[in-house]
Amino acid sequence: MIRVFYLIFINLFLYSELILEITESANQPVKIAVLQKNDNSFKGQQIVSIISNDLKRTGEFEVLSSDQLLSIPLNESEVIQRDWLLLDVDSIIFIETNEDDNNLDINYSIFNISYNETEDKRKVLGLPDGIRQSSHYVSDGIYEFFFGIEGVSSTKLMYVMKNSDIHRLMISDADGFNEQILLKSNKSIISPAWSSDAEDIAYVSFENNRAQVFTQNLASGKREIILSSNSSVSSPAWSPNKRYLALTSTMDGNSEIYLVELKTKKISRLTENMSIDTEPAWSTDGRKIIFTSDRAGSPQIYEIDIRTKIKRRLTTEGNYNARASYLNKSEIVFVHRGAENFNIAKLNLKTRDLEVLTSTQNDESPCIAPNGNVIIYATKDGSLSYLAGVNISSKVKFRLPALYGELKEPAWSPFLR
Amino acid sequence: MKNIFISLFSILFIFACSSVETVDVQETKTVDLTSSESDSGSSMSEVDIGEPHTKVFFDYDDDTLREDSLSDLLAISRLMKENSRYTLLVEGHADERGTREYNLALSERRAKAVEDFLVASGVSSFNIEVVGYGEEKPLDVASNESAWSKNRRAELFFIK
Repeated sequence: MIRVFYLIFINLFLYSELILEITESANQPVKIAVLQKNDNSFKGQQIVSIISNDLKRTGEFEVLSSDQLLSIPLNESEVIQRDWLLLDVDSIIFIETNEDDNNLDINYSIFNISYNETEDKRKVLGLPDGIRQSSHYVSDGIYEFFFGIEGVSSTKLMYVMKNSDIHRLMISDADGFNEQILLKSNKSIISPAWSSDAEDIAYVSFENNRAQVFTQNLASGKREIILSSNSSVSSPAWSPNKRYLALTSTMDGNSEIYLVELKTKKISRLTENMSIDTEPAWSTDGRKIIFTSDRAGSPQIYEIDIRTKIKRRLTTEGNYNARASYLNKSEIVFVHRGAENFNIAKLNLKTRDLEVLTSTQNDESPCIAPNGNVIIYATKDGSLSYLAGVNISSKVKFRLPALYGELKEPAWSPFLR
Repeated sequence: MKNIFISLFSILFIFACSSVETVDVQETKTVDLTSSESDSGSSMSEVDIGEPHTKVFFDYDDDTLREDSLSDLLAISRLMKENSRYTLLVEGHADERGTREYNLALSERRAKAVEDFLVASGVSSFNIEVVGYGEEKPLDVASNESAWSKNRRAELFFIK
């Protein structure tokens, strides 16, 4: 195999597409400082910087920089409580790195200022070349300590970047680093989807002038076309056990939802209706699928039990509800049209409580972080599409503007641990 | 068989904005369908079918043919019945509002509505191909009703 090494210096185009701007912060962000413990090494500084950026990106932390501090303790015993109370700091995160040829371990402790004591101590075992990922795990641990929800700094995002009529299916770390091109095409690419083990993806490509579903292995780049037919095939969704791909096809003359068993290529049809049925999404237990149908005259969300084929309508409010995903057992997230705008909304299936989560216009393609608490979606500013997001519990809103071209069709990876 | 050019990228990221950021080495495979090598194989995607013979337009979230389209479609029908060797490609499109996948289905129904009308008027369905492009190929990229009304359309091409 030929290996081509590209050394890219200061190439904005390739690494910093996902700059994050917080547009609405949390009401009361947790004020912290991240410091090296008993050390002032370059590597330690890198780790502190990665963790600080991760925590700032959540919009739920205010991370003080070193020039804002009144004193810089090397460890817990050097903390002058008064200095930190003056700054209204909640906690100091002490980071300690142990490195040898084969390992790079990060110990971290969370020192509470008001209690004047260490509240939690944890360790991330990593490899010397995995410094970014190890640091993200630390960030996720810190996030979980404060909010009781797993952090998502160590996950990945997939999205489509369009630039001068070239469509690139991209993948990057959640903070935009390590951006890689998976597919480059002159034709549209839509609906990227992760398999549950994050080893394979599926997407719709128009490369043959018709919507077709492909799967692609991330490590090898090997592609496979699913359901080769003269009809359009689209909207792929992997079952949680990775055995099936749910998708939409017009092979029987009308847009219907099918299950394809990937090993045997056996096809079974789930919907049978003269209307549009599309956008299937699995429940976490793999027993149910929600989908969009306009069988009642306007697009609404329905749920089907895969075994019994019993269907029920889930949305009733508004004349446009589409592209739904399960947030958890009792809540779904989808594109909802209120009076005029298309927004991302959340519906509680038990209380019937509908909450519009976004305040941008023309929002589409919502994807949910694996912790079930952050949604990234595509929206438009003028004629350019960009990604924006919202944190469900803290209400933090942010945007991920593209420096060049447009960003759309986000898909959040599962946890990679 | 499609000739897919697979290149192996190994990218060293050097972060310029905050100088303390790190360097990671990552390997990934890029499937590149835009390179000249791939074009020779996928001829279909490179056929230039020119400008559409006729365009018909639709209302929001609707696949019903409008009355103002009927005379154009009847003219197409006459042409096709007079010359049975003609093959018509009907491309359906949607405006940007709403979701991409729903719009894909909607656009295909619009193309199908054109086909159904022509078949009902006596054209053989063997001579008609339909395809939906959803909101992927807008005529006007602006976000206003004037652009949307241009984009909710079916385009009819004679391809043989």
